[in-house]
Amino acid sequence: MLENQMIIRAGMKRHKGTLFGIGVLLFLTALSLTVVLMTAFAGNSYIREEMGRAGFGDLTAWTADVPDMEFLLESIRKQEGVEDATVQRLIFSEYEANGVESDSEGQLIPWISAEIGIPTRSRYRFFENSLSEYAKAPEEIGEQEVYVSSSMKSMMDLEPGDAITFPIARSGRNISLTVAGYYEDPFMGSSMIGMKGFLISEKTYEKILSIIEESGMDALARNGSMIHIETAEGITVSEMNRVLTTNTPLSMYTEFIHSAETIAGFMVVLQNAFSALFAAFAVVLLGAALAVMGHSISGLVEQEWKNFGILKTIGFTGKQLAGQVMMQYMAAVGSGVVLGMLLAVPVSGQISRLMVTTTGVLFPICFPILPSMGVLTILLLLSAGFCVLCLGRLGRISPMAAIRREAGDQGNLRKHMEYKRRIPAIRAKGLTFHLALRQVLTGRRRYISACLVAAMLVFFASLAGRINGWLGVDGKGMMDAFNPADLDLGVQVLGKLPAQEMEQVVLSYTDITDSYMLAMPSVSVNGTNYTANVITEPERFHISAGQTCREKDEVVLTEVLAADLGAEVGDLVTVRGNKGSREFRVSGIYHCANDMGANLGMSREGYLSIGEDDSRLWCYHYFLSDTSRKQALTEELEQTYGGDVHVHENSWPGLFGIISAMHLLIFFLYGVSAVFVCIVTGMAGARILDTERKDIGIYKSIGCSVEMLRLSFALRFGLVSAVGAAIGTLAAVCFTDVIVSSVMRLAGISNFASGNTPGSILFPGLTVTFLFLGFAWLLAGRIRKEDMNVLTAE
Amino acid sequence: MRGVKNVILQGEKITRTFHQGKTEIKVLDGIDIKIFEKDFTVIMGPSGAGKSTLLYMLGGMDHITGGRVLYRDKEISSFSEKRMGRLRAEEFGFVFQQTHLVSSLTLLENVLVAGYVSKKDSAEKVRERAENLLRQMDVEEAKNRLPSQVSGGEAQRAAIARAMIGKPGLLFADEPTGALNQANTREVLGLLTDLNRKGQSILMVTHDLRAAVRGNRILYLEDGKICDELALEPYNEMEEKQRERDVSQWLSGLRW
Repeated sequence: MLENQMIIRAGMKRHKGTLFGIGVLLFLTALSLTVVLMTAFAGNSYIREEMGRAGFGDLTAWTADVPDMEFLLESIRKQEGVEDATVQRLIFSEYEANGVESDSEGQLIPWISAEIGIPTRSRYRFFENSLSEYAKAPEEIGEQEVYVSSSMKSMMDLEPGDAITFPIARSGRNISLTVAGYYEDPFMGSSMIGMKGFLISEKTYEKILSIIEESGMDALARNGSMIHIETAEGITVSEMNRVLTTNTPLSMYTEFIHSAETIAGFMVVLQNAFSALFAAFAVVLLGAALAVMGHSISGLVEQEWKNFGILKTIGFTGKQLAGQVMMQYMAAVGSGVVLGMLLAVPVSGQISRLMVTTTGVLFPICFPILPSMGVLTILLLLSAGFCVLCLGRLGRISPMAAIRREAGDQGNLRKHMEYKRRIPAIRAKGLTFHLALRQVLTGRRRYISACLVAAMLVFFASLAGRINGWLGVDGKGMMDAFNPADLDLGVQVLGKLPAQEMEQVVLSYTDITDSYMLAMPSVSVNGTNYTANVITEPERFHISAGQTCREKDEVVLTEVLAADLGAEVGDLVTVRGNKGSREFRVSGIYHCANDMGANLGMSREGYLSIGEDDSRLWCYHYFLSDTSRKQALTEELEQTYGGDVHVHENSWPGLFGIISAMHLLIFFLYGVSAVFVCIVTGMAGARILDTERKDIGIYKSIGCSVEMLRLSFALRFGLVSAVGAAIGTLAAVCFTDVIVSSVMRLAGISNFASGNTPGSILFPGLTVTFLFLGFAWLLAGRIRKEDMNVLTAE
Repeated sequence: MRGVKNVILQGEKITRTFHQGKTEIKVLDGIDIKIFEKDFTVIMGPSGAGKSTLLYMLGGMDHITGGRVLYRDKEISSFSEKRMGRLRAEEFGFVFQQTHLVSSLTLLENVLVAGYVSKKDSAEKVRERAENLLRQMDVEEAKNRLPSQVSGGEAQRAAIARAMIGKPGLLFADEPTGALNQANTREVLGLLTDLNRKGQSILMVTHDLRAAVRGNRILYLEDGKICDELALEPYNEMEEKQRERDVSQWLSGLRW
């Protein structure tokens, strides 16, 4: 026992650098894995808990202009399977702040002591202005005040003191409110959700309501409500939806209707996407850490081979020796893993605070004991397994054979000579490179960890880079995924403004190369409500299977909706609009990630056969000859026509937060990759330098300069990592789109194609190669200190 | 006769101390030494006398603590790492007791790399010269083998070829036969003698009498100082036994 302790202690002291490196790698791996677990668990469970606590029900319908709310509520409550129905009053209104116009209507919600059923006071929680913790709810909201979701910070850069303008009616009847603070909205808070809630005072609500009533047809804002419906156990949301559509007048007033699951999905889609990406990275780190550890153990065994022989001569068994080495590694692994898991708590908390401007909620971080124990067990078991595998040969060697290093050097030499025949000759030109190449080819095993780590990191960096590339600088990739058809500028004409007049303004700035019209009414398909993308030119839909809906009785579905309905191309579905219903044939599958991909596409003619036409439904989508004029044109239209037009580009305010978060994530991933490269180069390189001290002396003795030797050493890592990078890049080219596509499908995006340039494909590989090269060059500074006494016989 | 010879390497008051904890150990204690061109100079002395240390100080392989070293009247002890590297590549050749060949390079490649580094000739000429040297050293057949696959004698002969590839002004040899058997020792000493006959200046450290008699000048080092020196006629195989007796007698006088 004592002897084992002594040897373990001595071993840990002797290999402290290696063990420290392994500890750091496992620390980073455990930290990443635990952070992913914590944020994913916290995010998903918190949203559902909060939605339950705040009484948002299992199904929520957004309605407008309901003449008799009590009657509607009663008719809903009477339905079998409905446990309760509560209403939240609100006003739908566009808004503008900090020069940014909203792309969808906001919902002004009066914050009062009690609503019908659930008191609004307890429904929402308020933040400190720093957004790092909760604040006490205000006694009252002032008449000129408004509280906004924390995601408005990333969407419109809204801060306390900023003004938000709500155009309530034409002729400039706007309401301007000052941001008094932020609140947590677990229902619509994520920047992935366009509709945003604004908490206002009861008096302001009443005032707006009276303006709407006074303005009549000139009103721009609308009186609305959210009806939260709780269903009995055992009844599905789609069944409930069908019952309500059929048996109550709800569908007459419904703008849109979503289940709690869908809302929760919207709320955490971004976080889940990042978590999936981060989890993939953590798995890559784990693979890299294990590869390095396996290689490190082999190297240690080779280095200590003779000592193991000596220890065997004094009575140690191979099993004991393996156990001693294993203990050293497991101490490093255990320390790294435990530290990583503990540090994950504050790190996750920090991430939660950083993400509050994107997610809209402050996820409480608690240590998920069971999953974390699972991570700990997996990491320890994998590490122990690697130790056992790599240390097995200790039991098979006799003491004297070990002392003579029989299994060590000679085995290598045999392999070396077999390989030697294919090794390129040393040449005078590029001598530094040729020496590096020779060292790599004859000592391949020493460089395997660097090669593996390079391959894994490049693969992952490529994966993240492809998502980033797809997203683009301005988020075009994501916008294209959410738009049913391409556009440069969209203008929705409201009120009495003739479309021709608006178009003349557009033409005064730039030629219109092409245009079409799009409407997004709510329809029900086989009894369930969905948004329909109704288009005047159906050939503009992005079709992935079948063909577009050219005929009046055809529709196209997204992959998600087709799966929901169990429908295929050629099947018949019943679509109901506000005028009637009829059967349509599914002519194809198209891409549009709106509503998590749950939507359908129709031709104008098709929709008008079941729905009423309204000029305010249609948005004119233009392709402009000079797209650089978009900004000026938008300003002109808004200034000239105010609330009579709604102008939007191929973008939405929440995109900025997503792009920022993505860039932050990419930056972090590259940072951790650099740390990994540094550690791997340090561990492998230091060992190589130790074993090559004599060779360094020899090269110096024949006149090789320190700089030449240093460069040659760095080139070895450059060569090895370049091979790894090539493998990683190739794997990325083959597999990333497939992997990312399957993740994107979770968010309803079914047309992911990175479409990277040769430059962006090569960038991760080049970065990782140069990192290895650079760190190896820095490490090789040791060569300067190596003197030639190592060659002295005396 | 010595008066007409040029001094190729000179050490003035060379001191070298090492530290073991707080204890200072003076290995070389103000040595003055001159090495003449075309001489085969041998340094002898008991173990721990500082022979190899002196050799490496003179060859710029290690830093001196005090004094200075001049090669062809240039003070090399103050050279930068870079200049020292060039000097080793162009002017010095080293042969060690352990052959110290790069294990991942074949014998030929070990010689070629040194030739390429010296940059005295074109790559083609270096290759030609390396092949010739290996032929001269009788290791042509083994030239494409790794150091671990040849005998100690073959490896040491290849090491001599490597030392000679850059046409050095001075060849340093540190116990070149120390790790060889009798047959290989004779071969290696024969090669060194031949090289000296062709005008190669050699400075060799040895404690082997048979090796020492190859020199024409023997210096005796003890306790970090040169105590005595013996001048001999150039080596002649016919007089080997007599030389051994003369040197042995001289060494006996020095309590060897």
